[in-house]
Amino acid sequence: MTNVKETKKPKATPKKKVKERSLTTAKSRSGWVFIAPFLVGFFLIYLPMIVESIQFSFNEIKILSGGGYQLNFVGWENYEYALAENAEFVKTLWSSLGQLLFNVPAIVIFSLFVAVLLNSKVPGRAIFRAIFFIPVIVSTGIIESIDLQNTLADTMQSMAESASSTIGASTGGQSDPNALISVMDVARYFNNMAVGRELVQYVVKIVNNVYGIINKSGVQMLIFLAGLQSVSPAIYESCQIDGATAWETFWKITFPMISPMILVNTVYTVIDNFTSKSNTMMTFISKIYNDTHGTVRATAMAWIYFLIVIAILALVAALLGGYVFYQRRDK
Amino acid sequence: MDVDTNLEIAQLSKKERKALERQQKKEAALRRIKAQDKLPFWTLFRYKYCTWYFAKKLGLGIFRFVLLVGLSYVIIFPYLSKIFSSFMSREDFVDVTVQLIAKYPTLDTYRAIIENNGYFQGLLNSTILSLVCATIQMLACTLVGYGFSKFKFRFKNILFMLVIFTMIVPHETIQLSLFMKFRYFDVWGLFGGVGNFFTNFFKCFQADSGGFAAWGESIKNAIAASTETNGAFLGFLRGLKEGLFSGPITGLNLLNSDWPMIIMSLTCIGFKNGLFIYIMRQYFNGVPDELEEAAYVDGAGVYKTFVKIILPMSATMLVTIFMFAFAWQWSDSFYTGMFYTSSKSILLPNIVKIPATLDTKYAAQTAYESAIRNTCGLLILAPLVVLYLFAQRTMIEGVERSGITG
Repeated sequence: MTNVKETKKPKATPKKKVKERSLTTAKSRSGWVFIAPFLVGFFLIYLPMIVESIQFSFNEIKILSGGGYQLNFVGWENYEYALAENAEFVKTLWSSLGQLLFNVPAIVIFSLFVAVLLNSKVPGRAIFRAIFFIPVIVSTGIIESIDLQNTLADTMQSMAESASSTIGASTGGQSDPNALISVMDVARYFNNMAVGRELVQYVVKIVNNVYGIINKSGVQMLIFLAGLQSVSPAIYESCQIDGATAWETFWKITFPMISPMILVNTVYTVIDNFTSKSNTMMTFISKIYNDTHGTVRATAMAWIYFLIVIAILALVAALLGGYVFYQRRDK
Repeated sequence: MDVDTNLEIAQLSKKERKALERQQKKEAALRRIKAQDKLPFWTLFRYKYCTWYFAKKLGLGIFRFVLLVGLSYVIIFPYLSKIFSSFMSREDFVDVTVQLIAKYPTLDTYRAIIENNGYFQGLLNSTILSLVCATIQMLACTLVGYGFSKFKFRFKNILFMLVIFTMIVPHETIQLSLFMKFRYFDVWGLFGGVGNFFTNFFKCFQADSGGFAAWGESIKNAIAASTETNGAFLGFLRGLKEGLFSGPITGLNLLNSDWPMIIMSLTCIGFKNGLFIYIMRQYFNGVPDELEEAAYVDGAGVYKTFVKIILPMSATMLVTIFMFAFAWQWSDSFYTGMFYTSSKSILLPNIVKIPATLDTKYAAQTAYESAIRNTCGLLILAPLVVLYLFAQRTMIEGVERSGITG
C-alpha cells in the first residue's frame, strides 16, 4: 500500500509541471503559427533564391532548348569581368557612391527641417502634410521610370543640339537648363563669409535638386514627425520657463530626443537610395541584365554593390550609434 | 421701493429714460468686465498684439507659411505642368508663347492612349492584381508582425534580423534568381511532376481567359487534358524522379500569371514587405498586453483574440499598410516587367508608349513625346490619387501612430 502511494506522489507533481510548461509552449507555438507565412517564404523561397543568386554569380548559365537550364562553374570570372574588364562598372560605382554621399545628408537634414516646420502650428497643416506625402505614393516605379525616360530624351536632344551648334558647346556654365541658380549667384552672396567653396557648391546642388530631394524624403519626414510628436510638451514648457530661446531648445532638447530617429532615417535613406530605380548603379545593373539577356554578369555586379552598401550601412550605424541619445524609461 | 422707482421712471420723459437705460447698460457691462477681470478691447489689443514677442511670432509664422507654400509648390508644380501639357496639341509645343495653358486645347492625347494602348484592360488587370496582392500582403504582414511582437519563442531575434535582411537586399540583386524561381517554379522538386497537370491547367485557364468565372471549366479541361496525355500521377512520379536524380531542372512556368505576385505576397517577401512587418511590429509593441490578458481571462483563445480584438482595433494601421502595398503594387514596373513577358497580359505599366495614331514626327518631337508619356503616367495615377484623397488622413495618422519612434 505504502509503495503504491509513494509511486503515485511523484507522478502527481510532474503532471503539474507539464501543465505549466504547456501554457507557455502553447503560446510560443501560436507565435510560430503567426510568423509561419514569413518562415515559409523565407526558408522555402527567399533563402534558396539568395543562395542560388550567389551560386549563379560563380557560374555560367545555359538555357536548354527542352526547357530548363544548366550551370557551368566558372569561379571568379564574373567578378573579374565586373571589376577588371568592364571599365564602366567601377566608374559607375564611384559616381553612385558619390551620389549616395550627397543625397543622404541632404535628405536627412531636409526632412528634419520640414518635419519641424510641419510640427509647428501653421494654418492648413493637414493640407500641407497631405501634399508633402504625395511623392511617397506617386513617385515610385513606373512614374519614376517615365521621368527617367523623359530626362534621357531631353539630354539626348540637348546633346544633339549642342553638337549641331558650335555656340552651345562653348557656354559650359549654362549647360543645365533646369538649374534654378548657378554657383556664381550664391558665391556672390557668400563672398564675405568664410565658408569654403565646397559648401557653397553643395548648397547650390541641393537647391537645384530640391525636387528630387523632396520626392525622396516623404517617409523620413513622417518618421521625424512621429518622433517630434512623441516628445513630451512638458519638457518644452519647462524650457520656456527657464528662458531658453527656440534655437537653444531645438539643439538641447529636440535634437537629442529625436537622435534615434536620425539613425533610423539615415539607415533607411541609404537603403532607399541605393535600391531606388533612379540610382545610377541600379540603372547600370538593369541595363547589363537586359543587354545580356539574363546572364550572370549583372548578378555578380549586384552582389559586389550590395556588399559595399552593407559595409557603408555598418559604418553609418557605428558612427551615429555612438551619438544617439536614448531616453531612459523606467521599466 | 420698487413701485416708487417705477413710478419715477414712468414720470421721466422719453429722452431721459433712454439716457438712463444707456447708463445702466454701461454700468452693467463695466461690472461684467470687472467680474471677469477683462480689459477693454483696445487695451487688450495693445498689450497683446503690439509687442515684440507677438511681432516675432507673427513674422516666424508667416515665414513658415511662405516656406511651406513654396515647398508644396515645388512638389505640385511638376504634376500641374504635366496636367497642363497633356491637353496641348502638337502645335502648342512649337509655339514659344505657350507656357502652361494650351492655345489649341485638345483631348486627342487621352483619346489615343485610351483607345490604342488598351488603357481599360490594363486598368482592370492592374486593379485586380493590386487589390489581391495588397489585401494578402496586409493580412500576412499583420500576422507576422503580431507574432514577432506579442509572443516569446526561440530564435525570435535572429528571425527578426532576417526580416530586416529581406528589407536591405535590393530585389535587383536576386533578379535573375527571382525570374528563374518562377520560370521553373519548384519546391524540392515536388512540382516538377505536378507541373504537367498544372501547365495544362494554366494553359486552359489562360485560353479561356474568362477570369475566375471559368475556373470550374478549366479544372475539368485540365484533368481531361492531363489524363489524355500521360496522366497526372505518372507526371508526378516523373517529377519526383527528376527531382531526386538531378537531371535538367524543370518546373512550373508561372510567368504571365498572377501566381508569382500572389505567392510572394502570401509569404511576405514581396516589395517592401519587411518594412510593413517592421511597422506592424512596432505598432503592436505599443498595444498594452492587458488588453489581450483581459480577453484570455474571458476565455478567448489566441486566435480569437487576434481576430475579434486586435484586428478591429488596428484598422487605421491596416488601412495604412493596405494603401502602401496598393500604391506600390499599382505603380510597380520591376516585377510586372519581369513576370509578365507576353504581350497579351496588359498591365498599367505596359500602356506607357507612344500611340500609333499620334503623329509625333514634328518640330518639337521630344517635348511632344515626353508629354504623351507623362499623360500615360497621369492616366495611371488618376485612380490612385482618388484613393489617396480618401485615405490620406487615416494613412498619415497610421504612420504617426505606428510608434516607429520606438
